[in-house]
Amino acid sequence: MKSTLISRNVFLCAAAIFIASCGTATFTKTGSDATIESLRSFHLAFIGEFAVPGKKFNATAFNAKVNEGNAKFQQAIADEKFTARRPVLVDLKAQFDADAAHLKSKASHGKVTPALASEMKKDVNKIYDHALGR
Amino acid sequence: MPSGGKKKHKKPSRKKSELDSALDQIGDESAAAATKEFQDLLSEAKGDTSELVRQNAEEVERRLVLLKNRKIDKEDFDHFIENQKRDLRVYVDGQPAQAQERAEKLTIQVLEIAAKVAIALI
Repeated sequence: MKSTLISRNVFLCAAAIFIASCGTATFTKTGSDATIESLRSFHLAFIGEFAVPGKKFNATAFNAKVNEGNAKFQQAIADEKFTARRPVLVDLKAQFDADAAHLKSKASHGKVTPALASEMKKDVNKIYDHALGR
Repeated sequence: MPSGGKKKHKKPSRKKSELDSALDQIGDESAAAATKEFQDLLSEAKGDTSELVRQNAEEVERRLVLLKNRKIDKEDFDHFIENQKRDLRVYVDGQPAQAQERAEKLTIQVLEIAAKVAIALI
């Protein structure tokens, strides 16, 4: 009878620990997802601001935004609790770097087309969706 | 989400797309083999059960048409091919490797050959 009681308590404790850890993981995952969504918004706004056909290229504003982006991505990588998600964030940063380099080259020569802007946004949304496992 | 990358046995219909018509006009004999291989591969990918494979093929096709119609240039096209490769890596990182092996192979093949075909197209 006593051993049954102990077994039951051990089981209940284990179950409680398991449920609590699931709750913590879900909470942390939600925070990580929110970070990725925030990076997506920044990335899309960046393209929206600089991939505009016919718009005069402002190098100072562009470089400031790129620096802001770099800081955001680096912070997100450093703060990421899920180690498995770090390579994904590194890939998202690589996408931002590549987009920034491509946009600089195109916008500074006035070669941004509506199709370029539209396709860049599609790629951003797709890679962030995949980063979130969608 | 992709459904596991099983090959569909039924061949997709070969109604000529805008891209097919453009590819048929490529006169360069040295590019003909790559073009034919690309058309077959693209057709197979567009009929695949995996959403990732289909989506990848449709994007490549759309961008080759944009390139051909001069809505984007070769630099843009190359940038998008690199984006697609990076996106594929992100997707595969989040999946069991075994389930994605075939999908990855087919998508990478399409992207690699698309880059060669793009040169002949412009």
